[in-house]
Amino acid sequence: MTTLDHHASVRPVPNPSKSLITKLNMGTGLVVGVIFALATYYGLGGDSAGVFENYNRTLLATMFMWSIGFMVGIGAFIGPFRWLVGKDLTDEEQLYLAGDGQGIKRYFKYCTDHKVVGIQYMVGVMALLGVGGTMAMMIRTNLIQPGSKFVGPTIYNSLVGLHGITMIIAMIIVVTGPFGNFIMPIMIGAADMAFPRLNALSWWVLFTAIPVLCSAWFLGGIPTGWTAYAPLSIQAGPGMNAFIATIIIFAVSTAVAGANITATVVAMRAKGMKWNRVPIFVVGATMSVALAIPAFPTFMVSMIMTGLDRSYATTFFDANLGGSGWLYAHLFWIMGHPEVYVILIPGVAVLMEIAPVFVRKPLFSYNAAIAGFAGITGLSILVWAHHMYMSGWMPMLNGPFMVTTEMISVPTGLIFLVILGTLWRGRPWMKLPMLGVYAFLWNFLIGGITGLYLSDVPADNYLHGSMYVTAHFHYTLMGAALTGALAGLAYWFPKMTGRMLNERAGYISFWLVQIGFQVLFLGMFIAGAEGQPRRVADYSVNFATSDLISSIGAYMIGLGMIVLLWAVIHSWRHGKIAPMNPWGSKTLEWTVPYPVPLVNFDTPPVVTSDPYGYGKAGN
Amino acid sequence: MSDDHGLVEMEPTPGEKLAAIFKQREVRVATAWGVLVTAIFFVIGGWIYPSWMPTAMSTDMKSIERLIVIFTWISAPVCGIVLGFSIYTFLHRHKGDTPPADGPGFRTNSLVVGLWVIVSSALCLVAVVYGLIEMNSASAATAEHKKNAMVVEVTGSQWAWSFNYPEQGVQSHELMLPINRPVEFKIISVDVNHSFWPVQLGVKVDANRLQTTVIDTTPNKLGDIDVKCAELCGLYHAYMETSGKVMSADDFNTWVTAHQGGHTA
Repeated sequence: MTTLDHHASVRPVPNPSKSLITKLNMGTGLVVGVIFALATYYGLGGDSAGVFENYNRTLLATMFMWSIGFMVGIGAFIGPFRWLVGKDLTDEEQLYLAGDGQGIKRYFKYCTDHKVVGIQYMVGVMALLGVGGTMAMMIRTNLIQPGSKFVGPTIYNSLVGLHGITMIIAMIIVVTGPFGNFIMPIMIGAADMAFPRLNALSWWVLFTAIPVLCSAWFLGGIPTGWTAYAPLSIQAGPGMNAFIATIIIFAVSTAVAGANITATVVAMRAKGMKWNRVPIFVVGATMSVALAIPAFPTFMVSMIMTGLDRSYATTFFDANLGGSGWLYAHLFWIMGHPEVYVILIPGVAVLMEIAPVFVRKPLFSYNAAIAGFAGITGLSILVWAHHMYMSGWMPMLNGPFMVTTEMISVPTGLIFLVILGTLWRGRPWMKLPMLGVYAFLWNFLIGGITGLYLSDVPADNYLHGSMYVTAHFHYTLMGAALTGALAGLAYWFPKMTGRMLNERAGYISFWLVQIGFQVLFLGMFIAGAEGQPRRVADYSVNFATSDLISSIGAYMIGLGMIVLLWAVIHSWRHGKIAPMNPWGSKTLEWTVPYPVPLVNFDTPPVVTSDPYGYGKAGN
Repeated sequence: MSDDHGLVEMEPTPGEKLAAIFKQREVRVATAWGVLVTAIFFVIGGWIYPSWMPTAMSTDMKSIERLIVIFTWISAPVCGIVLGFSIYTFLHRHKGDTPPADGPGFRTNSLVVGLWVIVSSALCLVAVVYGLIEMNSASAATAEHKKNAMVVEVTGSQWAWSFNYPEQGVQSHELMLPINRPVEFKIISVDVNHSFWPVQLGVKVDANRLQTTVIDTTPNKLGDIDVKCAELCGLYHAYMETSGKVMSADDFNTWVTAHQGGHTA
């Protein structure tokens, strides 16, 4: 990658016009992917056999071959193929892949520039949130009154499951995708990610999962929720294959992205950026992906086993033939609980990055912040069976899992301390990103405290499987993590698009979403406390009031998100031109102009302190 | 612990440092906000959950109610600290299009961090110990119940509950229980996972294929029970519910006699 060290302006736009890579883009990827998929589907006999296992086998193979075909068609394997024959891409081709000077076209190519990948992730996340949010609106519309009058139970159950998995995927990448790729390398003074081609790979592999996930609708939906518990998942119709394939493809993408981000932070920090000078956002993002690296493979494995049970009649999860549904539950939650912290930690880290800038004070107790993240990361792998208190699996282990779960409240408390200590005795500048910090404090407080009830085994006897659980995790994942991500959007929008986000629309959206959120999920806490099970298409009339309240709140969120979408699109095209450092921040990404040059920095930066040197009277 | 040495040159003790912190006006105002918030959460916590939750019809449900109230009280000061300080700083916000002047440059305060860790650990410990005590008394009750419990075999299937009373020789799709007699539920599924939830009794456990799970309770109040499924089990999960009743011993015997040897609807 030495060729990338040249200054952008002295380099002519590369045009290796004879090379195959100039001919390939998303369009060729789609064509080859569809050809691969069709060939596989009809090669294996389509659904003509009519046998459950055969059909599942055909569908799974079709979906994987679509993904592989797309990656072939977009040119992902040109480099590895050259390695096989003992060569590599030429310098000119590498520069071409970086996309410099190719304008909007590079966003539809296998582009290795981390800034392009960041924008691709951002648009992808917005699309996923839009789809998942639309499903949420349909769920709440169905629950607005008893009787399931909007959609029937088949569609409702699919909505619940696909809303869940769409949002989980979106939330896993919502911070580390756009900001982890676009901002983080600049923040640590690097020219790009450690492995730019793997970076492009992680995005485009993820992209191929999206049509696969959508195909679930056309294959009859999924009846299992996103937890996909066996044996229900074994019994489920062909739509389940789409779920399985999505998770396996997504796990490949996150493994690649996680390794890449970790390697970048470990190996490519600017000169002088010792570990105690790394911005807290970078620390949080790294811990999050490092936690994902061991967590997601178990989800992938559980899905491979589910796929085998369904398409080769193995019996991993079939109790009738010696398997165990609890085995699945374990594999799922060994991923599932770390995963919520994979989502949460980057969102919190964004807010910790924002708070010092807008209060003009140093981050309070950097070490406590690290200890908080590390404590959560470490403990989160020891708590999974609190999701199984009521499964009957092993009641005598409920006590130990209750202890580890409640211990998480101590490092979580440190996160509150760091943010409150940063605010304390400052005068917070109430711009949109700073409002997110306050919304987080309230939402995460409610999410954390309601988690305390759920972690307690006797109380969980009542609350488990009820709407209370749904409300609780929406407070943590949406109220805390998504709020952090949206604050990050408002904060880094000027650097990513060169324009300021429309403030008035931003405020309107913020208040609509946050107030609607409280109405929705406080209403849902009531429904849960009243005894309404979760994931029900219909409910008895005594829950009608709380469900109506929830649905009204949901529409407010929907409206607020539409306003935000308008603000993003409008500001991106017509917004006020942003100065280089609109917030007066001290991190490195604000020292580079817009558009950010290909290698980010003219001269590699040298770091002499952490980025929190705000405030009078020095240390 | 700090009042017995008055030399000015001496390093102030943690107690003195703490006292100095509380002499600052902003700390006192923020604390006042915190006390207000704590009081609000304390009062709300005392009645709001019990007012939402259905009538407790067993000691298990009663202790869950009590536990939730106590946890709300434990959480009230946490809410007070977080929200008190949040409200204070929010009220002192800076408006305008330019950043405010730099604030004080302190980077940490080991006393505050230490105190924070100790207090949060102590609150966590209280929650853990209280939960363990409750679990222990529940399992003690279970051991006690074993002696004279009435067994009800519960079968979950897509999408109905059925109940078998081996002692009485009765099968039913409604859950009928005599008051004040311990009951032991033995739960199994014939297909996918379900979760047996007689709401007002405050117990719950999954119904698994080929693995019997057992829970017990003692109904202690007459009235209707809602039996629901708390684990997504496919198409008609929402409709997998039935009703039940806690009745006097005489009424229960009458019901048994009327239904012996045949199914009820």
